[in-house]
Amino acid sequence: MIVADPKPFLQVKGYLEDFQKILVVGCGTCTTVCLSGGEAEVQILASGLRIAFGKDGRKKTILEECIQRQCDLEFVEPVLSRVESENIDAVVSLACGVGVNFLADRLGKTPIFPGLDTTFYGANVEQGLWAEMCAGCGSCIIAHTGGICPVARCSKHLLNGPCGGSEKGRCEVDPANIECVWQLIYDRLKRLGRLEDLRHLLPAKDWSTASDGGVRRSTREQLYDI
Amino acid sequence: MPMDKSSPGFLNTIAGDALPTCSAACPVHTDTREYVQRVSMGDYEGALDILLEVNPFPSVCGRICHHPCESHCRRAAIDEAVSLRMIKRFIVENTRQYRIARRKKAVQVSKDKSAAVIGGGPSGLTAAMDLALRGYKVKVYEKDSKLGGMLAHAIPRYRLPPEALAEDIEDILATGIEVHSGCTVGQDISFEQLKKDNDAVLIAVGLAESHSLPIPGTSGKGVFLGVTFLWDVANGLCPELGKRTLVIGGGNVAIDIARAAKRLGPEKVYMACLESRDEMPAWKWEIDEAEEEGIEILNSWGPKEILEKDGAVTGVRFRRCSSVFDAQHRFSPTYDDSETNTVAVDSVILGIGQKANLDFLAGSAVSVNGGRLICDRESMGTSEPGIFACGEVMTGPGSAIQAVSTGHDAAKVVSHYLETGKLLKLPNKKVLDIGELPAVTAANARHFDRVCVELSDPAERIKDFSPIEPVYTEEEALSESRRCLSCATGAHLQFPNHCAGCLTCVRICPFGVAQVRRTAFMPPQQCQTCGLCAAECPAFAIDTLRFPTSAMKTAVEDSVSALDPGRIARPFLISYCCVNGTTSRKYLGEQSAEEIMESGILRVLVPCVGRLSMADLISPFELGADKVAVVSCPEDGCYYPRVESWLDRRIKRTQKYLDQIGVGGENLQLFNMEGSGDESWPRIWEKFRAVNLETAVGNL
Repeated sequence: MIVADPKPFLQVKGYLEDFQKILVVGCGTCTTVCLSGGEAEVQILASGLRIAFGKDGRKKTILEECIQRQCDLEFVEPVLSRVESENIDAVVSLACGVGVNFLADRLGKTPIFPGLDTTFYGANVEQGLWAEMCAGCGSCIIAHTGGICPVARCSKHLLNGPCGGSEKGRCEVDPANIECVWQLIYDRLKRLGRLEDLRHLLPAKDWSTASDGGVRRSTREQLYDI
Repeated sequence: MPMDKSSPGFLNTIAGDALPTCSAACPVHTDTREYVQRVSMGDYEGALDILLEVNPFPSVCGRICHHPCESHCRRAAIDEAVSLRMIKRFIVENTRQYRIARRKKAVQVSKDKSAAVIGGGPSGLTAAMDLALRGYKVKVYEKDSKLGGMLAHAIPRYRLPPEALAEDIEDILATGIEVHSGCTVGQDISFEQLKKDNDAVLIAVGLAESHSLPIPGTSGKGVFLGVTFLWDVANGLCPELGKRTLVIGGGNVAIDIARAAKRLGPEKVYMACLESRDEMPAWKWEIDEAEEEGIEILNSWGPKEILEKDGAVTGVRFRRCSSVFDAQHRFSPTYDDSETNTVAVDSVILGIGQKANLDFLAGSAVSVNGGRLICDRESMGTSEPGIFACGEVMTGPGSAIQAVSTGHDAAKVVSHYLETGKLLKLPNKKVLDIGELPAVTAANARHFDRVCVELSDPAERIKDFSPIEPVYTEEEALSESRRCLSCATGAHLQFPNHCAGCLTCVRICPFGVAQVRRTAFMPPQQCQTCGLCAAECPAFAIDTLRFPTSAMKTAVEDSVSALDPGRIARPFLISYCCVNGTTSRKYLGEQSAEEIMESGILRVLVPCVGRLSMADLISPFELGADKVAVVSCPEDGCYYPRVESWLDRRIKRTQKYLDQIGVGGENLQLFNMEGSGDESWPRIWEKFRAVNLETAVGNL
């Protein structure tokens, strides 16, 4: 899933200085699961904004809403209607960047601001801890690496590692928190009895399927005329 | 409305139709959990309301009920059952004025039909009251001068003082029942006359006479029948016992007889019964108390002969009883005549069972077979139309609360008959309960000792008939009420559409109860209502049935909106306090706006502050609080495991956030109370309000 972290409160507050009627919109999917943008965080941010602006002597109207997903039209339509009908001056989105974009494309003249910093595609490896697992490069190579992605999990994105910065299974970039993914790949292939695979070097990657090839789209012929 | 409930489904639960085991086990399905929870929040009057919903004899039951609720209490899987009878007694003894004030005026007779009830015991009075509440004219015929039946005459006053019984009876009589006491049907008024004067007759005469024994010597001087003996004792007639007295019987009545006899001065009191120790029908605690009083129990002996000399008892000869029951557990004693025993005594009291006196039915069309009234258990009808029966005369020997239950049923069938002229077949009462507490949940729960009271010293208590059991103090009652698990009122998915299946509830639940089956699911039979999952749910999709924090938030907003911000003593402190710390009602009651403004303190009582979410911790500042105190249990005193550490993390995160929003994290503090809340809360409030006055936020 997509992981996102809360922006510093004062940064968000700074976006909103010039607006009077503000809607904080949460997202009920990825950012709810990673505990940064669900109903609870909407209330916390909204309450914080009311208190902080109140302390500045500027009473603003801070409204709250949390929808199932901010990346689907049917779910965002009620938000768009509300913004229109209630004359909302600005929207803060607690979705990932996708949600913010999707709403921005549809909000007409009403500005929208991100309440989160979207970070990566990751997994919940421990309670309260998420780690990056996928880079969304568009041409998956992990069939050759024991199911472990060096593009996402190697600090240098090396396709044929490790580099000289791998020490005792840790990455020199942040040994305390980052494992050397090539050590992980080696250990995994060893367990699978496929260490020989490492003798076949991966060729240079075609990055055109990643964002380097331009903005990407994905279609389903059963629903969409290609 | 009549007190009886047609279906036990009235109890508020999240487990479908299944009742908590305590309520399911109670013959009248008292909403045990609710009255205990009301006590725990200091609402003793509300708790009495719950008791009186289904039971007109709460004072009696608070003293002598055999408490099947406790026997089925799920807390026993953790440590010991909650002392429900003692909590009930505390309620009735601390709400006397309220009970008098809530007493309704006599119900107006609104129907042109009447019913006569023969017998003023718990069953007859319950039925009479229900019928009166339904608008019928009801007359109760009681052969004795006092109402209450066996409660008035057979239960010694050290267990049930007459004042306790009187409290219940006064309530019942207030409904407007016409009572003819000292009126023996068959002597003072004929059964035929009752039939003629009324549209229905209910026989509730109980089992008021003792069985005798078919052995030689039972007519000798010094031989007493148990019920007669107890009646004499209850009425101050003090039967003359010799120095050595023996009671034959092993049931609860025999225990009452033996203990009453002991108080009349014999040097030695024995009990002898057919049953082995484990088979004795008396409750274990009654047996223990009897033995503490020096009563010696002779098990597995069958009386063969009461020995006499010059017409006076000299002893009882026994033979060994080899077995009491046959393979189908029917009463069928066998004896070994080769083993005998003679106990030298000068008084013998027979406490082997009771029977009904049905002499008044002689010559009527109501069938009696072998001294037993013929009665259909489903319709409660006898062989004659319009004549019904309830209580022990129908069920055989039973408890007071069981008699009350059949009284409620009788009112239903009698009123149906009065309205339609037809019999009503009562449905078979198959009550679903929520089942035992799973062992894995019990293993994760913390242990808290049951609050026990000490009975009077046995050497002292046998000197007279003074009550031997003290009532709970308020502190004890509150403490014990908080041991209640409040089964099946825990967390539930209030907003299924909000749940993202994030697993936070699963990971945080200290009891291993929460699950995610696409969405969160907390099995109601297992949840212990700590509220942690609700507090940490990122979608606010979970709430608890008992004390939902959403309701708390609204209550706080309402309290604050009634205040004049300019008149609030600053700094204005909102203090979340764990309700489990209170030892009196001092801080449990609602605060007036004046009190809050004058003191600058608004108390918010929470059954475990661990259920406060981060939003709950911030919102008071939005409402105008300068400081927020969260006062939890004494260290390691929380009913729920690991709550303290989760709460501590939440508070620290909130403090950092408060720093960011300009409130100052130091204005939110977590405190552990020391000792009771009553003592330590004021100290905490005073100290916290005195710190950093100049940084107070104020005037939002």
